Amino acid sequence: MPGFGLSMGVTLTMLSLVVLLPIGALLMKGAAFGAGNVWDVVNTQRTWAALYLSFRLSLFAAAFNLVFGVLLAWVLVRYRFPGRKLIDAAVDLPFALPTAVAGIALTALYAPNGVFGSIAKDLGFRIAYTQWGILIALIFVGLPFVTRTVQPVIEEIEREVEEASATLGAGRFYTIRRVILPMLAPAALTGFALALARSVGEYGSVIFIAGNIPLQTEIAPLLIVIRLEEFDYDGASAIGIAMLFISFTMLLAINAVQIWSRRRIGHV
Amino acid sequence: MLTTIILAGRISAQGTRLENHADGRVTVSTGGLRLTGWPVAKAIRAATAAVALALLSVAAPGAARAESLLNVSYDPTRELYRAINEAFAADWQAKGNPEPQIETSHGGSGSQARAVIDGLQAQVVTLALAADIDKIAKAGKLPEDWQSKLPHNSSPYTSTIVFLVREGNPKGIKDWGDLVADGVEVITPNPKTSGGARWNYLAAWAWAEKNGQDPKVFVKSLFEHVPVLDSGARGATTTFAQRGIGDVLLAWENEAYLALQEMGDDQFDIVVPTVSVLAEPPVALVDGNITNDEQRKLAEAFLNYLYTPEAQAIIFKNFYRGWDTSKADPADVARFPKLDLVSIDSLGGWGKVQAEHFADGGIFDQIYVPK
Repeated sequence: MPGFGLSMGVTLTMLSLVVLLPIGALLMKGAAFGAGNVWDVVNTQRTWAALYLSFRLSLFAAAFNLVFGVLLAWVLVRYRFPGRKLIDAAVDLPFALPTAVAGIALTALYAPNGVFGSIAKDLGFRIAYTQWGILIALIFVGLPFVTRTVQPVIEEIEREVEEASATLGAGRFYTIRRVILPMLAPAALTGFALALARSVGEYGSVIFIAGNIPLQTEIAPLLIVIRLEEFDYDGASAIGIAMLFISFTMLLAINAVQIWSRRRIGHV
Repeated sequence: MLTTIILAGRISAQGTRLENHADGRVTVSTGGLRLTGWPVAKAIRAATAAVALALLSVAAPGAARAESLLNVSYDPTRELYRAINEAFAADWQAKGNPEPQIETSHGGSGSQARAVIDGLQAQVVTLALAADIDKIAKAGKLPEDWQSKLPHNSSPYTSTIVFLVREGNPKGIKDWGDLVADGVEVITPNPKTSGGARWNYLAAWAWAEKNGQDPKVFVKSLFEHVPVLDSGARGATTTFAQRGIGDVLLAWENEAYLALQEMGDDQFDIVVPTVSVLAEPPVALVDGNITNDEQRKLAEAFLNYLYTPEAQAIIFKNFYRGWDTSKADPADVARFPKLDLVSIDSLGGWGKVQAEHFADGGIFDQIYVPK
């Protein structure tokens, strides 16, 4: 193919500059610090609590976005209603908005004296400054991923397929379960993985709404920032490496599920 | 010879060159059509120049010019340095110098120090804690004895920690001891990420020591009353004032007055405890980032200006405790009540306090986070 050499060269250079080198530097820093020391930093109650909180809430947020994002994509593709274009455009807003701005806006809404927060307060619970607040922020930043990956796939699904399924005697739910969902699954899983990855590393929006209490509402990225504030570069990179390792394992697992689902239903 | 031209954005055409225009465009004949546009080489040159220009303009702020100054400061000094910069620039020009370009960067004191260590070209630092400037000194950017170079421990202004409570002081908070009563929620930023919060912590510590309590036990129970830990002083003020969280905010005195001024004194009261710390936010010249003599002159003049009666008047006006009241508005000076202020030296100096209390695994970690 003409142009392969040049375009591949440019691609690899840019990828190295912006992705591979920083991650390589992080790993080098950890290697210099020593695996045992990295483990000692990670193996404290506070670090585990932060990692567990970050990954658990990211999974919940990505799962919520998986369901809600597919639903949203379905509604946007299949139905015609006033304001559809507007909603379609609004889906991308979490991408465009600086996350800190989103965090401050969400906190203002969900704080005990905010619009939604005051209702929650009357009902006897708090949203902002608890894990619920973190979850809302993570859902916000991850929302577009599932919708935007699933949308083109839904557009591709022809109604004839559903009609065929119906003429063969399938009910609506059977059609959804055996015909529609299998076709959506690979794209939906990709969106899920993207939303998850984004949530795990999210800092700006969460920091304002989290309350940041160690062991309760302290996310792993904040712990890294705290280590940096202590001029403890080794400790910070140790936590960074732990996050990288966990994320990588999870993305591998999601990939495995994708490969399995492709094999089962054939390539879509 | 065939020449390729760009017509509009992505459309190009190729043909024999017929005519060269004065502005650099050429007209070609494609056989059936005569088209005029930029020859491709020129279009590529223009694009390259645009990219280079964009890159240059990104790089430019890092490059120090002769008459410019970057002051790297901490969060609650925004309003102070806005006023000081203006007054200093006028004073500097009145002495026959060209207009200086003074920029101030604000953020958490610790992260600002880290930015300077990592290469932010600050000629002047004005941070919340001497310990943060010590870190920059350790990195070799300024001499270790920096704090003896300017009067008053290099602190042209001091402050202290006071309580901001809701109007009418519904929880009846008078002193540090009241903060650990049942049902009282205290807002303070995280001492790990905020210089101001370290002063809060030390003020509580000093009060407990003076009142015959075990300071470790007292500070521990104090932090058990903290429902939200913001990362910086300004964030904590927002949480307390705008979000309505907590009964009392431990704040820099100047932040407390600023909150009253911004949000109205019908919403909050300031409570001054019997004992607090003498917070000395120091200033220093970063020798390692000075590029030439002109710049050194400007930076030195800027720091010395902070001690002039004119600057001190601005300092009082911005709710910091200055040293020189000769030109200050007496009303600004009268605002500050006398209280027992404990200095950092009586607690052992920053070197000791930092290592003992705030380092990883230090007393703050022990009382706050089980390891």
